[in-house]
Formats: sequence, C-alpha cells, structure tokens
Amino acid sequence: MTVLRTSMRNFFAHKGRMALSAVAVLLSVAFVCGTLVFTDTMNTTFDKLFAATSSDVTVSARSASDTGETTSDNGRPPVMPASVVTRVRAAQGVKAAEGTVFSTTVTVVDAEKDSLSPSSGAPTIVGSWNSNDARTMKITSGTAPRNAGQIMVDADTADKHHLTLGDEIGVISAVGTHTAKISGIADFTVTNPGAAIFYLDTRTAQRTLVGRTGVFTNVNVTAAPGVTDPQLKKNVTAELGAAYKVQTAKETADANQKDVEGFMNVMRYAMLGFAGIAFLVGIFLIINTFSMLVAQRTREIGLMRAIGSSRRQVNRSVLVEALLLGVVGSVLGVGAGVGIAVGLMKLMGQMGMHLSTGDLTVAWTTPVIGLVLGVVVTVLAAYLPARRAGKVSPMAALRDAGAPADARAGLVRALIGLLLTAGGGYGLYLASTADKAKEGSLWLGLGIVLSLIGFVVIGPLLAGGVVRVLGAVLLRMFGPVGRMAERNALRNPRRTGATGAALMIGLALVACLSVVGSSMVASASDQLDKTVGTDFIIQSDSGQRITPQAVAAVKDVPGLARVTEYRDTTADYITPDGKTLKDTDITAADPTYATDLRTKTVAGDLKDAYRPDSMSVHEKFAKAHGIHLGSKITVRFRDGGTAHLTVRAITSSDVVIDQGAKYISIATLAKYVPADKMPLDQLVFATAKDGQQDAAYTSLKSALHDYPQYTVRDQTDYKQALKDQIGQLLNLIYGLLALAIIVAVLGVVNTLALSVVERTREIGLMRAIGLSRRQLRRMIRMESVVIALFGALLGLGLGMGWGATAQKLLALQGLKVLEIPWPTIIGVFVGSAFVGLFAALVPAFRAGRMNVLNAIATD
Amino acid sequence: MTSAVTIPRHGGTGGRTAVAARARQVVKAYGSGETRVVALDHVDVDIARGQFTAIMGPSGSGKSTLMHCLAGLDTVTSGQIHLDETEITGLKDKKLTKLRRDRIGFIFQAFNLLPTLNALENITLPMDIAGRRPDKEWLDRVVTTVGLADRLKHRPTQLSGGQQQRVAVARALAARPEIIFGDEPTGNLDSRAGAEVLGFLRRSVDELGQTIVMVTHDPVAASYADRVLYLADGRIVDEMFKPTADSVLDRMKDFDARGRTS
Repeated sequence: MTVLRTSMRNFFAHKGRMALSAVAVLLSVAFVCGTLVFTDTMNTTFDKLFAATSSDVTVSARSASDTGETTSDNGRPPVMPASVVTRVRAAQGVKAAEGTVFSTTVTVVDAEKDSLSPSSGAPTIVGSWNSNDARTMKITSGTAPRNAGQIMVDADTADKHHLTLGDEIGVISAVGTHTAKISGIADFTVTNPGAAIFYLDTRTAQRTLVGRTGVFTNVNVTAAPGVTDPQLKKNVTAELGAAYKVQTAKETADANQKDVEGFMNVMRYAMLGFAGIAFLVGIFLIINTFSMLVAQRTREIGLMRAIGSSRRQVNRSVLVEALLLGVVGSVLGVGAGVGIAVGLMKLMGQMGMHLSTGDLTVAWTTPVIGLVLGVVVTVLAAYLPARRAGKVSPMAALRDAGAPADARAGLVRALIGLLLTAGGGYGLYLASTADKAKEGSLWLGLGIVLSLIGFVVIGPLLAGGVVRVLGAVLLRMFGPVGRMAERNALRNPRRTGATGAALMIGLALVACLSVVGSSMVASASDQLDKTVGTDFIIQSDSGQRITPQAVAAVKDVPGLARVTEYRDTTADYITPDGKTLKDTDITAADPTYATDLRTKTVAGDLKDAYRPDSMSVHEKFAKAHGIHLGSKITVRFRDGGTAHLTVRAITSSDVVIDQGAKYISIATLAKYVPADKMPLDQLVFATAKDGQQDAAYTSLKSALHDYPQYTVRDQTDYKQALKDQIGQLLNLIYGLLALAIIVAVLGVVNTLALSVVERTREIGLMRAIGLSRRQLRRMIRMESVVIALFGALLGLGLGMGWGATAQKLLALQGLKVLEIPWPTIIGVFVGSAFVGLFAALVPAFRAGRMNVLNAIATD
Repeated sequence: MTSAVTIPRHGGTGGRTAVAARARQVVKAYGSGETRVVALDHVDVDIARGQFTAIMGPSGSGKSTLMHCLAGLDTVTSGQIHLDETEITGLKDKKLTKLRRDRIGFIFQAFNLLPTLNALENITLPMDIAGRRPDKEWLDRVVTTVGLADRLKHRPTQLSGGQQQRVAVARALAARPEIIFGDEPTGNLDSRAGAEVLGFLRRSVDELGQTIVMVTHDPVAASYADRVLYLADGRIVDEMFKPTADSVLDRMKDFDARGRTS
C-alpha cells in the first residue's frame, strides 16, 4: 500500500515531467486505435454495401479461363446468352430471375469530356437498371432510364460533379461511345464508399457495354418463399451445370469483401507498422524520462532504502509509476484514436471516398489492444530504469552526487554495440553482393535490424565523438556559451544517445526510402534514355486497355512517322524440354516495337521475332527450358487456338523495361485469336517525323481529348510523371513517419526540460555570475540543436547505407543507378537543426524565467 | 538603531568614493496583509572600499537577504542600493546581469563550480561570458595566490571541497570585480580548509585591495573581517571593528541571551 501511495505521490508530483511521456504513449496508442477503428469502419461499410446489393443467388458468366476477373482482355465483360435466364427460371424454388449487364471497364465523361470516374481508385460501374438495384437505391429525382437517350447517375457522383437532370453523359467502352442525357438521380440506402455508378436500360446497356443484345453478364435470382439460398444455388446449378458461376448472396458478399480486404489489409498493416515505429521511438522517450526521474531521486531512493525499503519495493514503486503513466496515456490514446479515425474518414471524404460516421465501428478489441499495448510498452520501457533505481545503495542518501557511472557496463555495452553493428554491416555487405533477390532481401532485413540496434547501443559512445565534431564545427563560433552547450550535451552520453537515437530511427527510414525512391527515378530515366526510341507513350492511368477507336484516332494524327501497338495476353506453353507452362505471359506488338524499345539480344535479331509464327524469349527462360534459336514452342493462346512458333531471337534478361517479355507480332496473335476475343492494346507508342515532335505532341493531345481515360506523354513528361508518382508515394510515407519524428521531438523536449530542472543550481550560479537570459537560452537551444543534429547525422548515415544496399540488391531488378538525393538529405539535416531549435523553445524559456535566488538557495 | 549606522564618507582615490556599496532605507518584505514578513526593515548600510566586511546574525535575521539585495540578486520592496555611483534598485534584469558579470564577484557556500568545466575554465567563466580576455598577468597572480597552479586542468569532481572553494575565490578575484560577495563561503569546509580560504580572502583585501562582503554565522570566520555587522529581525543591531573570534562569540552570546529574555 505504501508503495502504491509513494508511486501515486511521485507520479502526481511530477505530472509535468510525465506529460510528454504520456503524450508519446497517447500518440502511439491513438494511431493504433485510429487505424483499427478506421479499417473496421471501412469493413462495416463494405459489408453493409455488399450485403445490400447481392441478390439471393447470382449467376455470372465465366471467361474462357476464369481467373475470377469480371472482364477480359478485349475490354468487354464475359457474357451468357439470354436463354440462361429462361433456364434459371425453370429451376425449382426460383421466384424470379432477371438478366443484368454491367461493366467496370468503362469511362464516363461529361459534356466537356472530363472524366466522371472517382479519383480515389474506386470503380466506375455502368449497368442495366434492374429490380435488385431498385431494392437498394432510391430514385431521388427524375426517373429510371427507359430508352437509349436516358441514363441515371448515383447521387454522390451527381453531387461531386454538379450534375443535374438533362446533362449530357458519355459512356466510353470497348464498343464505342454512347451519349445519353441524365433522366434520374438515385441514392444508395446504405453508404456507398465511392464508386461512380451509372444505369442504362437493359437494351442500351447490352449495346453499349457488349456490342450486341440478347446477352447478359449476370442473372439475379430471387428465391421463392421458404427456399434457402444454398438450396436455391443447388437447384440453379443442377439446371445450368458447371458452365456458369453460381453464388449465394453470402458467397457474393464474401467474394467482394475478399477483393476489398486485400487492399484494406495492406493499408491496415502499413499504418500499424508506422504506429509500431512511433511506439519504438516512444520507448526511448519513456526510458529517458524514468532514467532522469530516478537519477534526480537518487537521494530520496537512498533514504527509502536506508530506512528499510527493499530493492524490490523501490523497483516496484517505479514500475507502478510507469503503469499509471501507461494507463493514463493509453486511455487518452484510445479516445484520441476514435478522433483520428473520424479525421481519417473526413480526409478520405476529401479524396472522394465516402464513409459515414454512422457506420463508425469500435470493436471491443480495439480499446483492449490499445490499453494493453500502451501499458505493456510503457512498463517494459520503464523496467531498466526501475532496476537501476532498485540498485541505488542506501549510502546514496548520504552522498551528494548520484552514483558514479559504471565503467565496466560501458565497456560491455561498447562491445555488444560494436558486435551488433559489425554484424549488421556484414549483413548489408552480403545483401549488396547477393545474386539472388530473395536471399539478399533476407540479409538486407537482418542487416537493417542489426545495424539499427547496434547504433542504438553504441549511440552513447558515438555521441562523444559526433558531438565534439559538431561542436568544433558549429558551436565554437558561439564562444563560451557554445562550449558549455557542447559540454552539457556530452555530460550524459547515454541520455544524449537515447534522445538522438529516437530521432535517428525516423530519419534513417526517411533517408533510406528517399535514396531508393530517387534511385528508382534515376534508373528508370536512365533506361528510358538508353533504350526507348519512341517519342510518345499513350496509356491509361487507370489500367484500362486502349480501344480501337482511340488507336485509330492516334494513327490519324499528322506528322507521325510510326505508331506501335502493344498488348499482353497469356498462353499455355509447351517448351522443347517437354514442360507445360500454364497461363504464361506473352507480349504481342507491332514489328516497329523493336525500334521503339532497343532491347539487347544475346542471339538472333529481335526484328525477326515479329515475322509470322515467330517469337522471342529471354535468356533466362531460354536457359531454363533448353531453348535456342530455331527451337519450336507450342503456344495455346488464351481464348484462341494453338500455334507452333519458332524462336528467332533471344533477348537479354538484364533489362529493366519489359523484363522477361516474350514477343510475338500482333499479326501472329491475330492469326490464332478470333477478332472478338482479341485483347486490346495496353500501350500505344507514337514516333514523330523528324522536327515535328512539338506539333505532333499537340495534335496527339487534341486527338485524345475525347478519350479522357488515356494520357499521352513525351519522354520528358513520362519521366516527370514517374517522378511525381514516386514522389507522392514517398510523401505519403514521410507523412506517416512524421508521427515517429514528432514523438522523437517530444523526446528532445523532454530531455531538455528534465536537464534544465536537473541543472537548476548550475543555471542559478551562471545567472548569478553574469550569464544573461539570452545567453542562457542560447546555450539550451544549442544543446538541443546538437542533440538533434547528432540524431540526424546517425539516422541519415544509417539510412543512406541501407538505401545504397537496397539499391545494390535491387540492381538485380533493374535499379542500376544509385542516386543519393542530396537536396533531401541536406534539407533533412538542416531541418533537424530547426527541429532542435523548436524543441528547445519551451525548456529555454522556462530556464530563462528561473528565479536566480531559488536556483542558488542552499537546501 | 541609528547608532549602528556609519556616516557615509566620501573621498578616496581616483575619483572613486570610499564606499563601494551603500543601502538606504532598504525594506524587503514578502507577502502582504497578515502574512507579511519583513526580512529587511529599513536598513541603512555602507560597505567601505578595500575592506573585509562580515555580516552576522542568527538564522532568519535577514543577513542573506541583505547580501542578495546588495549583490543585485534580489529586488527590494523599497529603499535604494548603490553600487559605487550606480543605483541598482530598479535596474532591469539585463542591466543587473551585466552589472553582476562585470562588477561583482560571488562565492557561494556550495555548488560554486560548473561540473563540466575545469578549474581554469571555471575561473575565467565570468570573463568568457562577457567575451573579455582575462588579464594574463593578473590571472597568474590570482592562481598562484590561491595555490592552484597545478590543479588548473582538473574538473571540480577531482578537487577536494577546500580546493573547490579556492577555485571559487580565484574566480571571484580573477575578473577584478569592485566587490566580492561571499555567502557562507566556508560553511561546508572543515576548519583547516576554511582557514585556508579565509586566509586568501584576507590577503586579497590586504594585498590586492579587494572589497569583500561575507555572510557567516561562524565567529571564527567573522574574525578575519575588518568589521562585523550584526543583523537581527531585519535590522542592523550592532557593529564591531577589528573583531576577534572571542569578541564576536561574546557578542553573539549576548544577543542570544537578550533574545531569550525579551
């Protein structure tokens, strides 16, 4: 009881000093809980949506080789004849069956040809208006579409793009463009997270999406009263056989949920990963806080021991304080987590993803996980300082200063740290020389973990050297104040080390990712320059294939020397070694592709691969399957016939673009695949006649204006787009790492604040003998800057090492060029100095305000 | 107790007054209303230049407060304090800090030195802070006087208590302040080390012409001074010139007895 009381008193007596640690726990717990609540809410939203939109049993058409996709390479959804509907109706227990058509490989534009597709990556769906949809949607204005000139749009999309009844809408599918006027607006009765949905009448939908009437993509089956969904499924399957996919409402919902789940799990674990990093950084803060509190309380603890407290009691009293801190931080964190989740939902709303706070889901596990995590981490972090407190001898009550540093512990620490760092370095070395990616990444992971821990362990030892160097470079110009700042930073290397290490972790990750990111951009640009011999690249940024109409529009552009089409499909191979390779990629392109992309060959001329019934394979593939020039490969095309192709070129495997591609000409593909199953182009390359590049670029852009789903880029823009894309991703990651960096900055603030308290008398003395407030504040600011720069230097160095190793390893995957983004690195380093200044604001202010007399008063 | 007040004398060498510091009607009170505590009650005092002055008195007599006010460490409730010709009452923190740095030296009872600096750095700290170069010759003389020449590179933790206080004395002397204030400078030392430090203070007055004010409750320490001021209940109640340990002790006993009977 006494232990608890002492702990409580200590905790509340030092609540100011505990506050920052509590904030660190709070932030980490809040981020974990926020992530959980947010993803749970998303799950609930999708659950409700899928449950509401699934009919009792759904029959859907399969494509020839069903990979679970709802679309095939030719840009049209797989369909079934109308007779299937009649057959389903004949099955037992069917109350009603309705054929529907829908497609997600469409682009919908407004009258200005601006895309109405969601920017969030959610699908655009165009379908036939049917009774199942009528069940889950409410027409809020106008009417459902009744003829070819009418279209209905969902309310969220209408809202976002300010669409009203009578506005013109264009639906662009593989078939062509269909224009209609808005006849109605319908609103979901559940939350629609963000898909843009358009409805046509059944006939128009068939014509627009498939190109002919009398076919459906799905049949929605309603059960007669008393018939369960599984029973109904059985009956329908009995009637139709295995030719079609038959799913109950639950199966449909589950399947849909599974699709979404993959994405959400990635998001969930990525965010939890960043929360984990924040926790890791928070641990340093907590360790530092308790170490300092224990150090400041040495005499007090000594007294407790002298009057008979056992080691264990002292130890426990510190842990109980940590427990209190953990509980307070975690409870507040769980609350803040819900706030973060709501904030994330609002943020997603800005980006076009609608989530309703009505669906806010706080699973009972969320607060439990938050609390347990927060409390356990806090108590574990406080364990070392608590043990140190237990070791305080009763004599400490009589001594003036704290216990002297244990020199042997320092030596052991140095040894362990050096061993770990050396091990990490060796791991990184192995990773950089590995010739197998899988093995290399294992070494890389190990190297990163070991070198990080190693740096953390020897941090206090490095602090001495690094701070002295920083001091010599930066602080000396500030005279004695700078010298004292340096000495203060050096005074307790363990503390400086731990504080800097917290910052080091976040910045190491920033440096590593920025090196990898800019190496990616540099490598890709380098490859583009070296190998790409075409001027313009046309592609869809949403992964749609390019319609023949759009290709025709490109070909009509004046000033072009050549246009190359490029498409991918899959085929089953039978190689000379007798092996059958299922569903293996094959690339079909125009012969000019050999000029557009200068791929090195190790045997033969790539141009020959585009001759009829010819192909090329890449070196590794050739080696693996005993292929050489003139070998015959049997290729059974997906949705097509079987060909015997002669290998006329073997390309180098050491390429970046189109790595592992096996080329045939489009003419060869067309010979074996029927026209209506022919895959569409993924990419189209256009090359201008000499000197007409600029004009051609402008003409291409205007030719594609009617097809907003496609973008044409010249090489410069392409590189920029690549850079932007990677930059965006990096920024997102930096944003998430900011959490860890904020916690680290709190750590610097905390260390300074506690140091100032610890040095009250010194500060008083200096003030008494004439140190001005301004000089005092400057001294504390400089100490802070040095600690921050120490962390930054270690972190950036470590991170650049990791990044360079990762690049060496990824060179196997084409990351050939190592580019250190010096502006970013230097920016982060200089930024850290400002972080240090910022962290010192409050502690310096408080030190300046300290009463000189109180500070020097003898006790 | 006007009898205890010395008449201010003017004159001296180089245009300087013979009074290094003076307090006029200084009142220092804490709190207000019923809880008002008066630490200094209309104190008038002159500190003679080139003399060693000791301030004595029982605990709570206001002796430390008086020193703090004279040294510009604390503010007064009313009254005036002059350091030489400068009125320090009413000065802003910035000016006060500069004044302490350039014109005053301090020796505290304990914790006089910065643990991160070595002895020499501690000695030159006030000048370093001011951005002034120490006068090499003078510094050498001070260091030799306090007998620290072979200990200059040592950190405070490597020095004994007596040595630490000698460093503090050296620091106070090195900047050649107009006046040095000591707050029980020997309070934490054994009698031998204490005698050593007091000896240096005495010598610095005799040989270097330094002005020193020292707060103490040790009659032996006070006996090193030229003049002893007695404080009780925030007022100066007596003074004694050329004190000896015995005479101081007798006087103290006297006060004690009076205090008990009154």
